[in-house]
Amino acid sequence: MRIAGKLLGAGVSLGMIVVLGFLLFRVIPGDPVVSWARGRPVTPEMLASMRSSYGLDKPLFVQFLSYAGGLLHGDMGQSFSYNRPVLDVIGERVGPTLLLVGTSTVIAVILGLWLGIRSAWRRASTFDRVSTSVALALWSTPTFWLGMLLMIATGDLFPSRGMRDTDTAPDFVSQSLDVAHHLVLPSVTFVAVVYAQYQLVMRSSMLEEMHAPYLTTARAKGLRDDLVRRRHAVPNALLPAVTLVFLHLGLVVAGAITTETVFTWPGLGLLFYDALSGLDLPLLQGLLVVTAGAVVVMNLLADLLYGVLDPRVRAA
Amino acid sequence: MSVVWERRRTALRSGWREFTAQRSGVAGLVVLGVAVAVAVLGPLLTGASALDVTRVEAAAWEPPGPGHWLGTDHTGRSVALLVLNGTGASMLVGLTAAALSVAIGTLVGIASGHFRGWPASALMRVTDFFLVVPQLVLAIALSAVLPRGLGTIVLAIGLTSWPATARVVRAQTLAVEARPYVERAHALGGGHLHVIAHHVVPAVLPLVLVNTTLAVASSIVSESTLAFLGLGDPTHLSWGTLLHQAQLFGAVSKEAWWFLLPPGLGIMGLVLAFTLVGRALETVINPRLRS
Amino acid sequence: MRAIALRFTAAVMAFTFTGSVPAVADGPVTLKVAIVQQIDSMNPFLAVFQSSTEIGRLMYDPLTTYAQDDQRVVEAVAAKWEPSPDKLTWTFTVPGGKKWSDGQPITSRDVAFTYNLMLTNETARTANGSYVANFESVTAPDEQTVVIKTKAPQVTMTALDVPIVPEHKWSSVSDLKNYRNEDFPVVGSGPFILTDHKPGEFIKLKANKDYWRGAPKYDELHFVYFKNSDAAVQALAKGEIDLVNRMAPAQFDSLQGKEGVERNKARGRRFNELLVNPGAQNKSGQFIGDGNPVLRDVRVRRAIAQSIDLESLVKRVSLGYAEIGTGIVPPVFEKYHWEPARRRAFDPAAARAALDAAGYPLRDGTRFSLRLMGRSGRAYDEQASEYIKTSLADVGIRAEVQLVSDDQLNQATTAATYDLAFSGWGANVDPDFILGLHTCAQRPGPDGTGGTTDSYFCDAEYDALYAQQLSEFDEARRIDLVKRMQERFYDQVPSVVLSYENALEAYRGDRFSRFPVQPANGGVIMAQNGVWGYYGAVPALAASSSGGVSGVVIGIAVVAVLVLVSGVLVARRRRVTAEERE
Repeated sequence: MRIAGKLLGAGVSLGMIVVLGFLLFRVIPGDPVVSWARGRPVTPEMLASMRSSYGLDKPLFVQFLSYAGGLLHGDMGQSFSYNRPVLDVIGERVGPTLLLVGTSTVIAVILGLWLGIRSAWRRASTFDRVSTSVALALWSTPTFWLGMLLMIATGDLFPSRGMRDTDTAPDFVSQSLDVAHHLVLPSVTFVAVVYAQYQLVMRSSMLEEMHAPYLTTARAKGLRDDLVRRRHAVPNALLPAVTLVFLHLGLVVAGAITTETVFTWPGLGLLFYDALSGLDLPLLQGLLVVTAGAVVVMNLLADLLYGVLDPRVRAA
Repeated sequence: MSVVWERRRTALRSGWREFTAQRSGVAGLVVLGVAVAVAVLGPLLTGASALDVTRVEAAAWEPPGPGHWLGTDHTGRSVALLVLNGTGASMLVGLTAAALSVAIGTLVGIASGHFRGWPASALMRVTDFFLVVPQLVLAIALSAVLPRGLGTIVLAIGLTSWPATARVVRAQTLAVEARPYVERAHALGGGHLHVIAHHVVPAVLPLVLVNTTLAVASSIVSESTLAFLGLGDPTHLSWGTLLHQAQLFGAVSKEAWWFLLPPGLGIMGLVLAFTLVGRALETVINPRLRS
Repeated sequence: MRAIALRFTAAVMAFTFTGSVPAVADGPVTLKVAIVQQIDSMNPFLAVFQSSTEIGRLMYDPLTTYAQDDQRVVEAVAAKWEPSPDKLTWTFTVPGGKKWSDGQPITSRDVAFTYNLMLTNETARTANGSYVANFESVTAPDEQTVVIKTKAPQVTMTALDVPIVPEHKWSSVSDLKNYRNEDFPVVGSGPFILTDHKPGEFIKLKANKDYWRGAPKYDELHFVYFKNSDAAVQALAKGEIDLVNRMAPAQFDSLQGKEGVERNKARGRRFNELLVNPGAQNKSGQFIGDGNPVLRDVRVRRAIAQSIDLESLVKRVSLGYAEIGTGIVPPVFEKYHWEPARRRAFDPAAARAALDAAGYPLRDGTRFSLRLMGRSGRAYDEQASEYIKTSLADVGIRAEVQLVSDDQLNQATTAATYDLAFSGWGANVDPDFILGLHTCAQRPGPDGTGGTTDSYFCDAEYDALYAQQLSEFDEARRIDLVKRMQERFYDQVPSVVLSYENALEAYRGDRFSRFPVQPANGGVIMAQNGVWGYYGAVPALAASSSGGVSGVVIGIAVVAVLVLVSGVLVARRRRVTAEERE
C-alpha cells in the first residue's frame, strides 16, 4: 500500500514535470521558428513547413497532447540545432556525466560523511572547528569560480578541458588513463562544492543521535567510545543523512551543469549550456524532463530503499 | 497584551545574548554590516564617470599597482571600484529573491499546515515536487525564456527556491496547532485568521527569519551562477556579472587573477556571512543544537 | 590488505609507463584545430552551423570553388562551365579521373543526383535550399556533363556552395532527416576523410592521399571542441592545440610574443552594424512594430550616424582590430566594396544643428528617447552600447540600453519592436545575399511571417539596382551597380555599418610553419570560401610530439593518488584491528 502510494506520487511528479516543460518552453517563449530562422537563408515556404512540422499551427491544447503522447513513445521532438531527435542527442551525452557525477559523488559522500562523523564526535575540538569552517566556506563558493581558479592555479599539470586528447593511443589502458587525467580538475571542483552539505548534514544528524538515551546507556556499560560510535551512533545517524542527500540531488545536477561548462566536459551539463546559448527549445525541454525525471526516480528509489532499511518505516 | 509584549521583549533580549555568545554569528553580522555600508556608500564613493567605459583613461588589463590597487578590467575600469559597486546589485538580488522565496514558502507552509483536506495535500504535493526538481535547472529555464533583467533573475530564483521554507514552516505550523492552547482557541470559536495571526505566525516567525538569512545566501550563489551562464543583466554589474565578463573577455587566458579573485571572494564572504548568521540564529531558536 | 594495495599500485605503475610508450613513438603528424561552435550534423544536407559546413567542405568538394589567392572561381568537381546566351542553361564539365575516397569515379551523375535530391526532397533543402530555389532541372546527359536549367538568369551559378555527394552511397539513404552520415570512414571527395566524431568532444579526419589536387602535407586533422574561445586560447598557449580563430582582441593581444605562437590578423568577412528602424512596414505597406516614428525622417537617421564616433569605437571596443564601416560589402571583397568619396564625419555639433533644423528641439536636455537593443553575452554589443549611449546623449538623444538574449533580440528585430539594434552579418564572395537582405521583397507578409529582412529597408531606387545587378553578367557593370546600391544604402541609413571586424587567428608556429590565407593579401586561415588553410598547411620540420609528457604526468598523478589512498587505508585498517583486539 505504501509502495503503491509512493509510485503514484512519483507518477504525479513526472506528469507535473511534463506539464512544466511544456509551459516553460512552448507557451512562454512565443514562436520558436522565428528564433530558428534568424540568420539563415530561408524562404517563407520553409518557415511555414517548419511550423507545421512542429505542429505550431495547431491550438496549444492539441500541441500539448501530441507532445505528451510523443513522450510516451520516447519521442521528445527534433532538436533545432542538431536536426536530430532530442532523445538521441541526450543519449550520447549521458555517459560522460555519469562518469563525472558518479565518481565525484562517491568521493564527496565518503569524504563528507567521514568528516561529519568525526567533527560531531569531537564536537568543538579544533578538528571540528576547522573542518566545519572549511566546509562552510566551500559551500559558500560558486562552483564555476572555484573551477576557474583551480585552472589558473594548477597551470599545465592537468588538462583544463574535455574528457580526452584526440591523439591518445586507442587501447583501453591509455584511454582510461587519459580520461582519468582529464577527470581530475572537474571532479575536484565538484567534490569541493558538494561534499560540504553531506558533512554538515551528517554532523547535525550525529549530534541529534548523540543526545539519545541509548548512547548514554551504551557508554555506561563501559563500551569504548569508538565502538559506541561505530556500532550505534553512526548507523542510526546515517539513515536520515542519506535521505537528505537524496533530497538534495538537485544540487548535484546544478553542480554538473556549472562544472561541465567550466571544463568543457562533454556531458549533459555542457549540452544544457549549449542548448541555452543557441536557445534550442526542444532540446532544453528534453533536458528538463530527463534531469528532473531522473531526480524524481532516484528519490523514489531512495524512498523505497529507506522503507526496506528502516524497520520503523516498514511498520508504519 | 502588555504582558505578552514584555515577555517577548525579554525573549528577544535573551535571544540576543545567546546570539552574541556565538563568535561566528557575530563575525557574520559584522561582515554583513560592512557589506551594507559598502553597498550604500559604494556608488557615492565612485561617482558615475569612473565606471563609464567611454570616459576611463587607464589602460586595459593593468595588474594591481599604484593608482589601481586591484588592477583594471578589459576596458580599463578599476576592478576595486567595480567590486565596490557590485556589492549593491548582488545584495539587492539576494535579498529580494530571498524575500520572494520566503514569502511564498511561508504562505504555502502555513496554508498546507493549517488547513485540512485535499487543497492542503495538493499544496503539499506541489511543495514536494518543487523540492525534488533541480532548482537551478528551473531557474535557468525561467530566465532563458523571460526578458533579461534583474527582475527576471529575482523571479527565477524566488519562484524556484521556496519549497525548503514551505516544508519547515509547515512542520512548525502542525506542531503549534497541536498544542492545547491553540486547540482551545479553536474551540472558543477563533476563526482561521485569528488562529493563524495570533498563534501560528508568531511561532513560525523566528524560523522564517533563520530561513531568510539562509535563503539570501543561496540566492546570491544562484544569481552568480545564472550570471556566469550568461543569463544575467549586463547593465547591472553584480559580482556574478563581473565574473561572467571576466570569463567572456579572457581573464583566464590573460591570467588576470586580479579580475577573477575579488568578485568571487566577495560572493564567498557575503554568502558565508549570511550562512553564519543564519546558523547562529538557528542555534538560538533550537536549543538542542547548543553545546 | 596492504599487500593487495601495493600489488595494485605496482600493476597500475607498469600499465602507466607501458601505456605512455605509444604516445612517445613517432606518430602521425596531426593538425589540431579548436572549434567553439557546436556541430549540428555531419549530414551535408542538414548542416547549417558554420563549423559543420566548414567540415563538410573538407569532406566533399562543391561544383566549383574560390581560388586561394584572389577568390576567383576555380575548378572543384567541375573543371569547366559555360552559360547559354540567354543565361538560362548552364553546362558544367566533370573531367574523368577524379575519384571518391573508396575508389569509385566521380561523375556528372553524382552531381545530378545531389541537385535532384535537393529539388525533390524538402529535407535535402534544409541547409542549402536557397541555391536551388531558382532551378528548373538538372540532368546528366553523359558521364562528364551536367546541364542545369534555371527559371530566371542567376548570377550565382558559379558560387553554388553545395557539397556534391556520391550517388552510390546516398541513393540508398531512405530517411534523410535522421541520417547522420557517420559510417566511418565516410566516403567523400574532399582533401580529408571523416573518421570519427564524438559529440561535444572532437571530430577526426584523415588526409585523403588520393585527392585529385594532391595529398595534404600531413596525416590527420582533428577539430577539438571548446566551450569558449578563452579556453581555446589557453590550450593554444599550452600547446594542446595548433590553430584557433575568432579570438577577442584582448585574447589576441595576450598571445603577443608567446613562444612558438604565430598570430594572423586578417581582414574578416563580418561587419557590425547598428540597425535604425526606418519605419518598418510589411509587404503590403502597413506599418508594423513600435519603432519610434521620428526615425522615419532620414535627416534624423543621418544625424544619428553623424553623432557616432566610429573611429573611437574601433579603437576602444575593437582595440584597433577592425576597420571603420562604410558600405555593406566588407573591404576584404575588394571588387565589390564601396568606399564613399568623403566619409560622413563624426560631428556632434552638425548633428545637433541638423536635429534642430529637422524640428526636434532640445527640451530639458533631451530631444527624444530611443531604445538601443543588443545581445547580452556578446562582447561587442555589451561594450559598444555604452559608447553609443554616451554619444547619443551628447546630441540630446536619450538611449535606453536593453541587452537581451539572442532569441529576444531576434524576435524584436523580426517584429520591428526596436529603435536601434545591434546586428551583424558575414558577407560572401558574391554580394547577392548581403544585398538581397535589404530589399522590399524581404519584408514579412501581412501575416507577419516570411522574409528575412535585416533592416526593414524598402527603397525603390535600391530595389531597381538590385534587380539590374541580378541579371547583369558583365562584371564591370555589375560592380558599378553593386557600388551604387551601397551608396544609396549609406545615404538613407537604414543601418549604420560600424566596423569590419578583423578575423583574429593564431597557430603554433613551432608545429606548423605555414598556412595559406585567403585572399593572399591579409586573408584568413579558417572560415575561408574554400578549405585552403587546412589543405595547404605545412608542418614544421622538427614537429615534436607532446604526448609523452602528458603520459608521464598522468602516471605520476595516478600513482601518487593510489599510494596516498592505500597508505591511508592500510594505516586505518591497522588501527582498527588494534582497537578490536583490545
